[in-house]
This record gives sequence, C-alpha cells and structure tokens, in this order.
Amino acid sequence: MNEIQFDTGHFEKRMVMNETTTPGYGRRGLGAWLLSCGLLMAGLGFTTTSHAEMAEGFAEGSRPAPPSAEQVEAGKRVYFTKCVWCHGVEGAGDGPGADRLWPRPRNFNAGTFKIRHTASGELPLIDVDLFQTVTHGLPGSAMPSWEGILTEGQRRDVLAFVTTELVKDRSWQDTEFEEFHVLQLEKIEPIPPTAESVKRGSELVKEMKCIECHGLEGRGDGNPFNLNDDWGFSIQPADWHKCWNFRGSRQDAYNVKNIFRTFSTGVSGTPMPSFADNTTIEDRWHIANYVNHLCERDKDVDIAGGNVTDEIAAELIAAKPRGIDPLTDKPKVDFVVPSKYVEGDLPADEHDERWDLVERRIVAMGGQITHKPRNFVTRIDDVWIQSLYNDTHISFMFRWDDRTKSVQEDEVDWEPYEVNLGDYGIEEQPPGGSMFADDPEHPESIAAKQNAYQVYNDGLAFQLPIKWQELPAPRKPRYFWGDEGFPVDIVKWTADGELKAYQGAGWDVDFEDRDDFTEELKVVKAEWNHGRWTVIMTRPLKGDYEEDAYIELGKYIPINFFVWDGHNGDVGRKMAVSAFYYLVLEPPIEKETYIYPTLAAIGLVLVEGWILTRRANRRKGKV
Amino acid sequence: MTWLKLVEGYMPMQMITELAICILVFSIINYSLKRAGMGLPKFWAGIFVWCFVNLFYLKYRIYPPIPFSVRAIYGTVAACGIFMWVSGSQQEWEEFKRPIINVLDAKTGMTKFIRTALLVLLPIGLWGFAYNSFLPSFDEPIELRTVHPAPPATTKVHGKTYVLQTAANPYRINPEGKYDQAYSNAHIVSQDMGRLMKDVNNPEDNPWDPNAEGYIKHVREGGEIFFQNCHFCHGDNLNGRGLWAFAFNPIPANFTDAGTIAQLQETFVFWRVAKGGIGLPGEGFPWASVMPPWEQHLTVDEIWKVIMFEYWHTGYYPRTWE
Repeated sequence: MNEIQFDTGHFEKRMVMNETTTPGYGRRGLGAWLLSCGLLMAGLGFTTTSHAEMAEGFAEGSRPAPPSAEQVEAGKRVYFTKCVWCHGVEGAGDGPGADRLWPRPRNFNAGTFKIRHTASGELPLIDVDLFQTVTHGLPGSAMPSWEGILTEGQRRDVLAFVTTELVKDRSWQDTEFEEFHVLQLEKIEPIPPTAESVKRGSELVKEMKCIECHGLEGRGDGNPFNLNDDWGFSIQPADWHKCWNFRGSRQDAYNVKNIFRTFSTGVSGTPMPSFADNTTIEDRWHIANYVNHLCERDKDVDIAGGNVTDEIAAELIAAKPRGIDPLTDKPKVDFVVPSKYVEGDLPADEHDERWDLVERRIVAMGGQITHKPRNFVTRIDDVWIQSLYNDTHISFMFRWDDRTKSVQEDEVDWEPYEVNLGDYGIEEQPPGGSMFADDPEHPESIAAKQNAYQVYNDGLAFQLPIKWQELPAPRKPRYFWGDEGFPVDIVKWTADGELKAYQGAGWDVDFEDRDDFTEELKVVKAEWNHGRWTVIMTRPLKGDYEEDAYIELGKYIPINFFVWDGHNGDVGRKMAVSAFYYLVLEPPIEKETYIYPTLAAIGLVLVEGWILTRRANRRKGKV
Repeated sequence: MTWLKLVEGYMPMQMITELAICILVFSIINYSLKRAGMGLPKFWAGIFVWCFVNLFYLKYRIYPPIPFSVRAIYGTVAACGIFMWVSGSQQEWEEFKRPIINVLDAKTGMTKFIRTALLVLLPIGLWGFAYNSFLPSFDEPIELRTVHPAPPATTKVHGKTYVLQTAANPYRINPEGKYDQAYSNAHIVSQDMGRLMKDVNNPEDNPWDPNAEGYIKHVREGGEIFFQNCHFCHGDNLNGRGLWAFAFNPIPANFTDAGTIAQLQETFVFWRVAKGGIGLPGEGFPWASVMPPWEQHLTVDEIWKVIMFEYWHTGYYPRTWE
C-alpha cells in the first residue's frame, strides 16, 4: 500500500519537475517515451517491476546495510583529522577553508550529492558513488583524491560517519521515502564514437537546450553569472573542453561513460537536470560522444559555433587525447614553448595553415597568492600558446577559455601602469569564517560578493628578461614582474584593445612605460567568441638591447604569463600566473645535419666490409 | 599504468622490489625451461633482459620520466652485467656468440638473408640515428635547485629579530604551559597509513574537541590558517598536490615526505615560511618560487601555529639542535 502511494507521489513530483525545469519536453508526449522506455528495457532484459516512472537504462537498486557503530566511530576519527577543515564540524560545508573556495565544499546535511548512478533526486550509492568521490576526488575543485592517503577501509569508515551522522535531513535506511533506481552503466552497450554519432550529438545538444548554459561551443559561456546551486552560491556551467576538470571524471578524463552517467542522472543541487526521462539511451550516447570529443586533444578543431559538419565531426574523431599527468590529473605540461620559422608575412588570423607547423602548448595557470591582494578564486586555469617567427618579427597566438567577455566600462582611479591597487581599495577575499556562509542574501556573504564585482578588462601579459643574454645561469628575474637587479620586458594586452610595453622592476613597483616599443607592437587579432579569447600579437625580434628583450634564435629565453578575468574582479595583482617556461626559436635546419650522418653511414659500410673480410680470411686459414 | 600505482614515499623501494621480482621470475622461468630441455639461447635471453630493463622498465614504468643521459648510464651498466653473465665460462661465451658467428658465416639461406639485410639496414639505421641527434632538440634544460639552503643565523620578522638557534615555538607547550616537545610529540597523529589523530574522544588528541586546550587547540588554530592560506598549493593532505600545484615549477613542497619538514628544525621552517621564496638565497632559485613571504599575510603567532599544525598533521617531529 505504502509503495503504491509513494510511487504516485514520486511520479507526480517527476512530472512537475519535467514541466518546470525543462519546458518544452512535455510536447514530446509522455506516452511516447513511456512506450520507448518499455520497449528498450524489454530489449535490454531488465527485470523491472511496476515502476512506470523508471527511466530508460535504470534498474531497481538495493538499499545499503546500515554501518556498525564501530565503523561510524572509526570514520569520525578520519573525518576530524582530514575532512573537517573544509566540510565543517556539522558537515555543513562551512569549515575554516570554505569561504576561500570556489566551488564551495559540499554541505552534507541535505544529502544532496552531485555525482551519482541513482536517479535524479535520489540519494547516491555509498559504496559506488561516494566511495569513488573520496577515492578519486572531484577534479576542478579542492577535493583531492584520497587514494594512497587513506586505506580503502578508512575511506569506507569516513563514509559511514558522513552518511549516518552528517546527512541529517534524509537517511539511506528510510524505507518509506528513499528508493534507489540505479543507472546500469556497465550493462548498457555504448554506441561507438563515430563521426555520425558525434554529429548527431552536436544537433541534440541544441535540441535539448544544453547550449543555453554550456554555450554554443560548450565552453560554459551560456548564462555563466546567473546560476546558483541549491544553497544560493554561484556556480558555473562545465566547460566541455576541459574534461579533466569534470567533477565526475574519476581520474579518467577521456572516458565517455562518465559523461553518459552525469547526463543520465543529473548533478543534484545544481541547475543541471537529469535527462534520463526525456532522452533515449541512444541519444544520450550521441551527446556523450560529442561532449567527450570536444575535450581538448592534440589538434585544435574549430567547431564553427557548434554547427558541426561531417568534415568537422571526422576531424574531432581523428584527434588524439592529450597525455594526462598522473601526478596532477591535468594535461602534461611541457615547459618549452617552441617558435618556428616561416617565410614572408606572419599569419593574419587563426585559420592560417602555417599554425599547423608548430605544436600548441598548454600553459597551466594558478591563482596569484604570493602578494596581496591574492586571488583565491581563479576562473582561468590554462592558456594555449603557439608561436611563429619570420626574419624580423615574432607572432604569438594565445587562446584561452573565458566564460565572459569583460571590457571595463566604468572609469577607474588608477593609471594603467600602476600596480599597487590596494591603495584604491582592491582587496583580497577575507578568510571569512562561517558567519555569513549560510546566507547568500547577506550583502557581506561570499556568495553575494562573488557575482557583484566591478567588471575590469580581461587581459593577458607575458614577461621576458631584459638583457637575458647577460643573466648568470641559472639566474632569472623574479617570476613576478622582475626585480631590482633584473628588470623585465612586459607586454600586456587588455580587452579594451590596448597592447602596451612596460618595464617591470618588482612586484610592488609601478611599471615604466616603454612608449617606443609599444609603437612596434601589433594586435593582429583579438576576438572573444563562444567563450574563448583568441589573441594574436606580433612584436619585433629585436628592439633596443638595453630596454627590450632581444630575441635570438636557438636560445632558451625565460618567459612567463599572466591572465586576468575581468568578471572575476581580476585587476592589478589579482590575477592568474604561470611558472617559468622557455621560449625557443627553432632555427632552420643546417647543412651539417645531413652531411655528418652520411659520413657516419659510409664509415659503417667500410667497417662491415672489414669485419666480413677478416672473418672470411680466418675461416680460410682454419679450414 | 593505473592498475599498479607507485605509492608516494615508497617509490624507490617499490622499484627495487619490482626489479628484483622480475629478475627472480625470469631466473625461475629460465631455469625450468632449461630443466625441461628447452633452454633459451643465451644470446636472445641477454638481449631480452637488456631491453626489458632499459627500454621497457626505465623508460615507461618510472614516473616522472628520467632523462635519456641517466638511462644511457643504467643501460651501459645493465649491458656490462649481462656481458658478465653470458661470459661466465668459455662454453657459455661460445654459446652466446654462436648466433653472431653464424650470421657472419652465412652458411644457410636464412643467415645469408639476415646478413644481407643487416648490411643494408645498419648503415641506414645509423644515418637516421645520427640525423636525429644532429637535429637541434629543445628539451627543457635541467636546473638543479637546492631544496634546503643554509639558513641565516637570525631573521627579522615584524620588527623582531629571531635567533634561529635559540628561538622556540611559543605554542608547543604542555598543560602546565611550559615549552615541551616530548608532550607535543606524544599527541601528533599516528604514523600508520592515513596518519589519523590518535584518539578522537580525547581532548588532548583531538583539536576539534570542544574541551581542547593549550597545544592541541593551537594545532586547530594553525590548521584553520593552513586551510585558508596554504592548501591551495601544499594540498589538503599537505602532500604538495594542491589545487594549483600543477601550474607551478618547482612543485610545492610535500610535507608528508620524510625529506622536508621532518629533516628540519622548527626555526628553519619559521624562517622559510616568514620570508618565502623571495627570501631564499641564490641556490634556492628565489626568482622561480611562488612561496609567499608569509610575514606579509600572517602574524608571527599565526606562523608558529601553522608550523605546529604541519608537524601535527604529518606525524613528524621537528629536529632539535642537540
């Protein structure tokens, strides 16, 4: 009796959800999808009972056994050693570290968990979902992988404690209200990622309105500053081009199943709904294949605003995944930025085929937290760079994902060369404490402040040491705008169209304008398109030796990078920074490169002749 | 190779063990094949072992990868070892070189074919190899940095001078309020896997116990500072794998490694924390380190507390001057 009542209630709730969260799907007809569900489930051989509302690909799951009191106690010891610092004493996601984190640590109290195999709105599977989250962490957030740090037993213990003591509003043991409908991810046969599948996926993301939040090219640029989680904290749509940052990627970034799972079950507590009820399994695979192939690979494929043609789909399929560094779970970083020689004029835009001559490199960016005002929340964590040079100039193409185009509109009190903006009230995020954390409505709360920054210019800068030829190896100028003894050549582009040359002599020393060199710099192209900046700039190889970095072929020239996201309140020292890389202009191949190997090969032929003759003589002598 | 993870801190031991196991397995197979009358030819066994150690194990298994020059040294050592193995007796040596002699003599069609092929392929291969090595390559240069440079005798923080030999952490106190390292040593986390607090129900061990006082309460205060300032780089588990660790080079220090804070006096750590990367002497590459000079962000008391938290959480004792 109970069950029937519950079912109806659940069913109604679902229908309401359908109508409110995803308007438009009602039109597809309930009967039609029920029918298709039934047909497909029968086809897959699921022995489902009378749950008419169960979506395609799901089956009844079992309720986890309650943990023993000893296990909960053991888990408490783990929790108060490792987890409490961010998740807080009561598990409300309000530990001491919480206020400087974005996304914020999970509030366990309501039992809302993002990554699940269970249907939308249900509690997750403890042994699968929560265990994997603790084991693999949540990439793109501060939640690390605890594998190798906590034993498997300790990880299970802490889950026993969290699920019984800190999830307060719901219970896995609640037989009246809690059911488990589990996505049968291992049983469902994936649809291979073919060009047709990827192309169909690109059409479906438009039909399903995924692009409204994730953007036409999937860079998370649709509506990025108006989305909140269930607690009122700002949240941004995932950038499909960075699969290693998917929370549910389980340290297996390019695995399409993770996307299929997230798409099928939704991300609880966020505006991302489950699409299980209104999408067939087949369509879900097409979408997952498409999203998976948008993740950055060896080749940068232009997807033309999401209008994927057969040709583009084939290119997406052909691209190879990037190597993921097991130490960081991010793409491997190569600290050498190569630049290759081209004849004639340097490329005028990103479509020039000559960019294919040189590999693109990823520059990893972290928040500037060395000097005040520090930047604890960075929204740009990498920049892609390519470089070409000709006889007189060098060209850099920078491309990076930024969900918002930010151009400063209000007047500011400081001059562009000033760096100590603390004098003008630019402050860092205070450590907070939990005082306002629960109340996003409070004007002083993190949530309220995070989306209310004055908008400054997006920007990108790089620095090269002036007179690097004279640096006593391995000495470099300080990564942060040089130092007294070793000034740096800074080239800074801002979204208002300025490209200027400065001299930096320390993190707290105002820049010095280099007007002569500024005139030599050129913005070839600067365009924000579907959540990505493309900025191409050129500078002369050689300026004034005493003032500007004088670039020579075949040498390792230290270079590092700075990026600002104007909508994140980034300005002055509040920015993202990189480590030192090396810019190397690869010289054209010289004649010697062919001559010496040929001589060596001829030498080897002579040696072979000698050995054979000697052997032959010896045998003759012996026989 | 996700199925067999290298465990941090145990990596060198793990590798030696793995190699030892491989050699053992190989010897067993080799021996039993010999007993069964199907002994592997010495020549091929030697080449196989060398390829396994140098090409497969050192190149693909070890992570982070080791440079080619180091691999070349190991390769040479391995080759010498194999050479000694195959030339143990006159008979074994003859057996080893027989395939080579056979090819040189080319008495059968097969060996003739191999000889001709080698005569042609070897010079071509050498040409390719030489061409590749003549091509300018631009790998990242190796720069050796001193991780623990010599500290100064004194350091001035927030207007007060601290003598590193005599300064002491004012929060490392016993319940009587006296400086007592033996007391604090007894209340750090346990040393086994997980490094958990010793007793969650004892207010002397659990920093989060409402009744925690003195030393252990200061540990909590230090932890709060750590998780508001330091974890971004040094990580939630103090293992140098923070949110932004991937962006920085050198990577942030791993405090759970026995080679960092466990090797140092507390006052050395105080100096490093207060002065940061910019305060390092030249051999520490101050220009590349993003470590903040924490005197710009924290008070002296906060620095002492966060240091105490780091020792508590990793289960290490600071070294003393004795």
